[in-house]
Amino acid sequence: MIWLQVALLAGVIGLDSTAFPQVMISRPIVAGALTGLLFGRPAEGVMLGALLEVFHLATLPIGAARYPEAGTANVSGVAAYMFATPALDVPALFLAGVFALAWERIAGGSVVVLRRANERLIVDAAAVADPARLIERNHLLALVLDFLRGAIVTTVGALAGAALLLAFAPFWSLPESVVRSAIAVATTTLLAAALSVFGGWQERKRIFLLGLLCGTLLSLIA
Amino acid sequence: MSEPVRSTRAAMLLRSFSVQATWNYRTLLGAGFAFVMLPVLRELYGRDRERLREAVARHSAVFNCHPYLVGVAAGAVARLEAEGADPRLIDRFKAAVRGSLGSLGDQLIWAGWRPVCALLALLLLLVGMPWWVVCGAFLIAYNAGHLAARIYAFRLGWEHGTGVAEKLRQPWVAEVQRRIATTGAFLLGVLLPLVAGGRTLALPHPVIAAAAAGLGLLVGLRFGNAVRTPVVLVLVAFVLVGLFMRWQ
Repeated sequence: MIWLQVALLAGVIGLDSTAFPQVMISRPIVAGALTGLLFGRPAEGVMLGALLEVFHLATLPIGAARYPEAGTANVSGVAAYMFATPALDVPALFLAGVFALAWERIAGGSVVVLRRANERLIVDAAAVADPARLIERNHLLALVLDFLRGAIVTTVGALAGAALLLAFAPFWSLPESVVRSAIAVATTTLLAAALSVFGGWQERKRIFLLGLLCGTLLSLIA
Repeated sequence: MSEPVRSTRAAMLLRSFSVQATWNYRTLLGAGFAFVMLPVLRELYGRDRERLREAVARHSAVFNCHPYLVGVAAGAVARLEAEGADPRLIDRFKAAVRGSLGSLGDQLIWAGWRPVCALLALLLLLVGMPWWVVCGAFLIAYNAGHLAARIYAFRLGWEHGTGVAEKLRQPWVAEVQRRIATTGAFLLGVLLPLVAGGRTLALPHPVIAAAAAGLGLLVGLRFGNAVRTPVVLVLVAFVLVGLFMRWQ
């Protein structure tokens, strides 16, 4: 039953990524929390989602660009983690995050396949009696196909991820402190890299340094 | 001009939420744009099947723009169709605005509003807010901007027709863009010490971790988003090292 719920959620999140309605429940931080909620552990879901969110701050879905699909891959990663661990396990969470980062390439590839399939839904208005109705029918069909794509790719990913975690996590030997440090360094690097989205160091250094000062004070008093 | 009724314009706005459903590499957003235009085309040409077919064919041709700003083009084109404008003028208008609507939306939304809202959510998480506050704040903040952009875009297109390009060149657009970017840069600065300082992640050797994170910060600032794939590869290598060490 839980896998059916994961598949349905993934279908909705796959739709939200591009096709409808783009309210951003497909962002990793939200998708992670929603998947975690299905398993009764939303706080861990949002942690994994936050990690992936940092990786996607500077990913821009522009035009025909091919980019990894974060939302559905994050559902796969969180579902795999939830299935493989009974409670918070930082190394397993890290492994699930790395799995999701790999799986998002496959999810992104499925978007390319769907867009190629959509080419078959183009209506030659001069050749049909009622092109308006056909356009509407094909539009609904495209939505259904995208829903199914999200559901299938994510469920396969979640099952594969769970199998890998169950098989390899017990043999993974790096201590939790090292894992936490790796997460800190990786997220710091990617957060700094995201400054390029807002104009880069040259344009925004003053406000960035002001933020850095405020953040330092906040971390001291928090 | 036979002005489309309010419900027709509302139907177009609602349809614009799914404008990318049939996105493809041949006509890009073309089929989706025709889907958005259908309510007004039916209202204007419903009884004349040949004119409806001709209009549908024109609007299913190649088109692309940012999905949230498609309302600018759809609203303006609806107005032109209602005024009985020359189809060649409508095609020229669509070709003229598609590039600017794409780049404007990318700058304002994908590279502006969305990462700013995500950074706000990350900040709330790092200061210890519960998951539902984090997600709720993100969704409410983001969609306030999202819905405002869609409604404003459609209204702008409908009210100004071909003059909409001039409206989008006005200084306030660049000012909004600058303010969003400034907010984003500030939030990034606030977040970095919370992550690198070690408290949030409860690092056992915060000084060493902060030094390593400082190096990561410099690398990130220097190379921008080009570091993303190398970082992912390093993490994959990290996973493999963990497995290898156990088997040794």
